[in-house]
Amino acid sequence: MSSSSRSLLFATGLCIVCSLLLTAASSGLRPWQERNALIDRHRNVLMAAGLVEEGRPVPAAEVERLYAERIRALRVDPVGRIIAESDPRQEAAGLPIYLSMEGDAIRGYIVPIDSRGLWGPIHGYLALDRDGATVKGFAVYRHAETPGLGGEIEKRWFRENWIGKKIATREGTFVSVGIAKGRAEEAVPKEKQSHYVDGISGATLTGKYLSAGIKETLSRYEPVSVKFRKNQLTELGLPSAAAPK
Amino acid sequence: MNGVVAKSLATVKRTVAYKEIVKAFWKANPISKQILGICSALAVTVQMQTALVMGVALTLVVACSNLIVSLLRASIPRNIRIIVQVAVIATLVIIADELLKAFMYEVSRQLSVFVGLIITNCIVLGRTEAYAMNNPPGRAFLDGLANGLGYASVLVGVAFLRELFGSGRIFGVPVIPEAFYQAGYVNNGLLVLAPGAFIMIGLFVWLEHTLLEKK
Repeated sequence: MSSSSRSLLFATGLCIVCSLLLTAASSGLRPWQERNALIDRHRNVLMAAGLVEEGRPVPAAEVERLYAERIRALRVDPVGRIIAESDPRQEAAGLPIYLSMEGDAIRGYIVPIDSRGLWGPIHGYLALDRDGATVKGFAVYRHAETPGLGGEIEKRWFRENWIGKKIATREGTFVSVGIAKGRAEEAVPKEKQSHYVDGISGATLTGKYLSAGIKETLSRYEPVSVKFRKNQLTELGLPSAAAPK
Repeated sequence: MNGVVAKSLATVKRTVAYKEIVKAFWKANPISKQILGICSALAVTVQMQTALVMGVALTLVVACSNLIVSLLRASIPRNIRIIVQVAVIATLVIIADELLKAFMYEVSRQLSVFVGLIITNCIVLGRTEAYAMNNPPGRAFLDGLANGLGYASVLVGVAFLRELFGSGRIFGVPVIPEAFYQAGYVNNGLLVLAPGAFIMIGLFVWLEHTLLEKK
């Protein structure tokens, strides 16, 4: 056998063995990896809602306990009525929404953010207070932004920026919350500062796309927000015993 | 009894395996002597935990790739040997990455791309090409283990100093008493940043070179 055909044969054999190993590793470990990803999403829901302490690792069991106790995953239709308890295993109609509960009382709601980023999609959660206007928290669980620049969106200083911002004016008109170019205090006129968070230097485009993504998401949830703003929580049509007070 | 131990230690010291291990661990340490793998050493040494996991992952990858390449060394065609080595290394690295994602999710998120970048770490390809291609499997495995641990020892050392003086913690547990902070002690923010790692690694290199010269 010539040396080049021997090389070819060896390379083919190696490729087959390697790909078999990789396939086995990838499919064999998938259940654990998917579980980790789910817990991580739950952790981020809790983080956005301000239900877990910052800067402290929370064990998976505690995440699951808090999530089961304090969060209700539901779906709403386009006019803002709840249609069903959300089942993570199947796709259902309507928009996913999470209610932050304390006992039977609704403390606020959390919307999933799916935004375009500079290098790939940004996935996260934005938590709103029960007044339908005040941001309670923001968390990102998956993104592909440049570490140190756009990647700062997942950092604590950036997330804490969002707390207390308003998605609507005092009169109740929807405006969303945008990311300023530079510090909000300097870049935005005073009367609009409650609708802007500080930007990240070197990540103007990430900020631009994320602002647009959040505005788009929030406008889809506006019917729900309006009900919260007008304090018409009974209009939500929350199923089962946990009717809002 | 002591004499027996000393004698057997002396015999152990004469074996090839012992000499190779000392060489990899100390006399030709991949980071502080050969200045290899600096990129990941800068990136993952902010905390002890990430440094330790990275060190273990790299050790396993070097040891196993050395073993596999050494087992195949007689049959690997010379003209494609580097490609074969990289394929073996890449497969092992991806498996290590998948394992971390499944069982140490938080750590794997912090290590982010650096586990994948073990593929490009010069230490791994350097050992397979320079050692495993010419030595029997047992010794190649030991050589990989020793080089990996040599890398890990510097990583953990740097991470220990950076985490202790940069954030006042060891393995995430605060160790500097609150009273110190009240008395005006401040964590050194520079050590958390990449330049802090450069300085620390520089100090390690200096230390090792000075100690080796004295011998």
